[in-house]
Amino acid sequence: MDAPHMVVLDGRSLTFEQVEAVARRAARVTLSEAARARMIGSATWVGQAADGLLDDGAGGVLPVYGVNTGYGSLARVRIDHDQIRALSWNLVRSHAAGVGPAMPIPEVRAMMLLRANALAKGASGCRPVLVERLCDMLNADVTPVVPSRGSCGSSGDLAPLSHLGLVLFKGTDETPGEGTAWFQGEVLPGSEAMRRAGLERLVPGPKEGLAITNGAQLTCAIAALACVDADRLVRLAEVACAMSWEALRGVTRALHPDVHHLRPFPGAIACAANLRSLLTGSALVDSVPEKVQDAYSIRCAPQVLGAVRDALTYAAQQVAVELNAVTDNPVILLHVNDRNKAFSAGLFHGEPLGFAADHLKLALVELAAIAERRVYRLTTGALNSRLPPLLRAGPHLGLVIPQAAAAALVAECRQLAWPNSADSIPTCEDQEDHVAMSTAAVRRAAEVLGNAQKVVAIELLTAANALRLRLREVPASEKPGALGVGTRAALAHLEEMLGRAVGPRDPGADMEDVLTMVRDGSLLQAVEEQVGPLQGAIHG
Amino acid sequence: MVELDGSSLTVEALSRIAAGEPARLAEGARAQMTASAAWLAASGQGQVVRRKWTWIGAGEAPSEDVIRTFLEGHCAGMGDPLDRETVRALMAARANVLAKGLSGCRPEAVDTLLAMLEHDVIPWVPSQGATGAAGSPALAHIARVACGFGGRAWRNGVLLDGREAMRGLPVLLPTEKEALSLINGSTLTTALGALACTRARRVFRAAVAACALSFEVVRADAHCLAHEAHVARGQPGAVTVARQLRALVADSDLVTMRREPDSFSIRCAPAVLGAARDAIRYACQVVETELNAAVDNPLVLPDIGLVEAGNFHGAPVALVMDHLKAALTTVASIAERRIFRLTYAQLSGLPSFLLPNSGVNSGLMLAQYTAASLVSECKQLSHPASVDSIPTVQHHEDHVSMGPIAARGALHVVDLLADVVAIELLCAAQGLDFRIQGEGVDPDGVPVITEPSRPGRGSALVHARVRERVSRWLDDRVMHPDLVVLGEAVRSGVFDLEPLMEEACG
Repeated sequence: MDAPHMVVLDGRSLTFEQVEAVARRAARVTLSEAARARMIGSATWVGQAADGLLDDGAGGVLPVYGVNTGYGSLARVRIDHDQIRALSWNLVRSHAAGVGPAMPIPEVRAMMLLRANALAKGASGCRPVLVERLCDMLNADVTPVVPSRGSCGSSGDLAPLSHLGLVLFKGTDETPGEGTAWFQGEVLPGSEAMRRAGLERLVPGPKEGLAITNGAQLTCAIAALACVDADRLVRLAEVACAMSWEALRGVTRALHPDVHHLRPFPGAIACAANLRSLLTGSALVDSVPEKVQDAYSIRCAPQVLGAVRDALTYAAQQVAVELNAVTDNPVILLHVNDRNKAFSAGLFHGEPLGFAADHLKLALVELAAIAERRVYRLTTGALNSRLPPLLRAGPHLGLVIPQAAAAALVAECRQLAWPNSADSIPTCEDQEDHVAMSTAAVRRAAEVLGNAQKVVAIELLTAANALRLRLREVPASEKPGALGVGTRAALAHLEEMLGRAVGPRDPGADMEDVLTMVRDGSLLQAVEEQVGPLQGAIHG
Repeated sequence: MVELDGSSLTVEALSRIAAGEPARLAEGARAQMTASAAWLAASGQGQVVRRKWTWIGAGEAPSEDVIRTFLEGHCAGMGDPLDRETVRALMAARANVLAKGLSGCRPEAVDTLLAMLEHDVIPWVPSQGATGAAGSPALAHIARVACGFGGRAWRNGVLLDGREAMRGLPVLLPTEKEALSLINGSTLTTALGALACTRARRVFRAAVAACALSFEVVRADAHCLAHEAHVARGQPGAVTVARQLRALVADSDLVTMRREPDSFSIRCAPAVLGAARDAIRYACQVVETELNAAVDNPLVLPDIGLVEAGNFHGAPVALVMDHLKAALTTVASIAERRIFRLTYAQLSGLPSFLLPNSGVNSGLMLAQYTAASLVSECKQLSHPASVDSIPTVQHHEDHVSMGPIAARGALHVVDLLADVVAIELLCAAQGLDFRIQGEGVDPDGVPVITEPSRPGRGSALVHARVRERVSRWLDDRVMHPDLVVLGEAVRSGVFDLEPLMEEACG
């Protein structure tokens, strides 16, 4: 499918595909006219509140959190009218408290896009120009440098988004603060990056500091891209599994559709269907009459990868809601029949995303863990259906170290599996007394995803070598039909890179090359060209 | 110049080599290595070595091609490359193992590694994929370059083909034993562990300094530092930390014998920091034992011959790295609770978030959030790596240490802790300014004037070192630069106690 070239933000219809297109492929972004009109309504109301034009029904000025009060526990402090503009700029500067290595550019771009879309919903009381300027920055390739550490995910990703705010905004006077940004690949002071892009930094109006910083968009950005990558990885894990299945002369009765309808988990049904597609026509499977069933890493693959799929489906559903959600505080509900249109609530809290990320992380640990066991089986002489021990069939070491590397990667995944969202530390004078820790959860999920990609690459490499050795046992006339439709396509694609000689001369280089194919999607594409689209796990 | 003799390398010395200090092979060690190689050649026990080569498919004596294939076959790690400092530590640590002279390797093996260090040839070594037992992919990446078989290496910062990087250097033509000895053992875990220990010590010293500053700000009751109390319990770390804190707050008008017991993050600081100090010491001891250990296989022990044992298994360092992570996380965790206290008006008696006009200003509010976030990350990373093991190599290596993962985790936690300590320094220095000026708030938040106070001599120096780098917050400003500059100061030893105390007392 062609990637979208223009994404129109309306606060309601943003998709994973659009997020990826903007984050990774520089698709252009604009604000819809309808959303623009909605935004003006709530911004106008906030402007009246800030100007002290709304009364509280008792003869005083209506207090609105973050508009004419301080932030957090400082909500008890009323802000004088002449300081309201300083309030927003101060928020962004004092909250730019991130530390550690910078987030990658695509994740920051996704964060900016999601923030813009949340504001486009029109319930945040900020001017359309904020969203327009964010779109301008995305379109002109200005990306703020956002430190990766320091967010609790409640009340949103305050520090990371404040680093965005430092570039987007400027003070009313000469108060310093400009952040840092990439402009077309070069790191510059934020003001310089904006100048070179021909963009004016904005003086934040009332509540606009909150509108930019309040909400877990960094969490959601990382999660969205991780879901997209995980959806590809789970299919590639099935490709690798199918290759191992064949190399081990496995029994495909475990994949029969009627089996899976007896325990109708949707993930398992989909996984079994994909494996059947990939193995269609294979002469290697079911070729050992005395074998009635395989080890768990083969036979139970639909149950395990199916559960992984179901977890991913759940995580993606949660993230999909957040892609089109308002996440700041207070929200402005013009249609509610109440003098006070500002509703202080907790939409910024990262918990729904933290759960999703922790669950996704756990699922990916298991995707990697069962793949490693198949790699072990393929390389272990007593377990690999009479393939050479360590798949050593020439003057080389065999695939001994890649399996150990896979084991180490799985151990690393497990070490990271402890759920971040299970933790919380009270902040802000006990006002923010339960926080999500969702940002760390999703950063760890992304780390586990990267490790799981490596383990799948190792299985693909190992299974490819195993299949090539297995094919030596097949008479020349039968070789063309020995492999399944999908596994044949996968092996052909891998062989183009690995060369015709069986056996790794330089396994580290081979592993890196296969990993590149896993990440860039080329291997999955080559397989799907032959078997048709495999079922994914993200629906809708 | 550090002398490698196989028996006296410290974590500090290894860290200095890692940072760029040169190293050389001690003369005694050179003689011992020569003798070990000669003994092996003459012993008639070469079949033990041969058997390993038979196992990997070679005949009697492995050809150069087989040796190259063997090393290449081990180059199967994954992930981003280790940084220059870590690779230097790894090369020097391995050189020291060989310098012990129990591996049957000629001095040339060490000479080549040290020449690479001297000429800034840094092999490209992947950071992931090592189980911390037996044949090390990380060491294989180094050996491949050292033996002129290719690979990749930086020379003076430029990434080159390994052969090109070695141009003009003495390439090692390894014997069959040297090819094994270059890569056998969990030296990656040890080298990472040594760097973690050095950094942990340094950051810990800053953590004690920051704690003293917080003691001043909350006007702690000094009873909790009483020497007699800590001797009564007898935990050595607590005795030391209490002494250090007493020295830092000496002559303070703020930390006095008040008989008003403080909250645990203050009162129990000597107990908690002391326990961490003991853990760090223990980790350093184990790592230093390992740095000077024969972790090769087979060992060349002239008294009993060639011995195949399990000295390569990374469990000893893996376990202490997991312990170190937990200890440092505890230091971070209690520091964060003090930061919370300092920024909390009702608990500190100072304005909310340590700015007099909080409201339009949020002051240091977010500093505490950042600390909380970092501590939470530390907790998650403290889940031990060494409890896991996955069978490898056809059931043969059926229990492995996962030591590299534990040690990388420890380095990660040290790094996070450094920023938590920086935040405590930022907040405590800010709080101390109020005390020095005699400014505070009553329980209703109304500003009150109190007597100006003087902190202890050591605390005053810590405060001054903060203020040399970041000015007092009077209004909101961008916080990030303050955190960066103080984090760097913590990591670079600006708050090391001994020089501080010497200055304070002299």
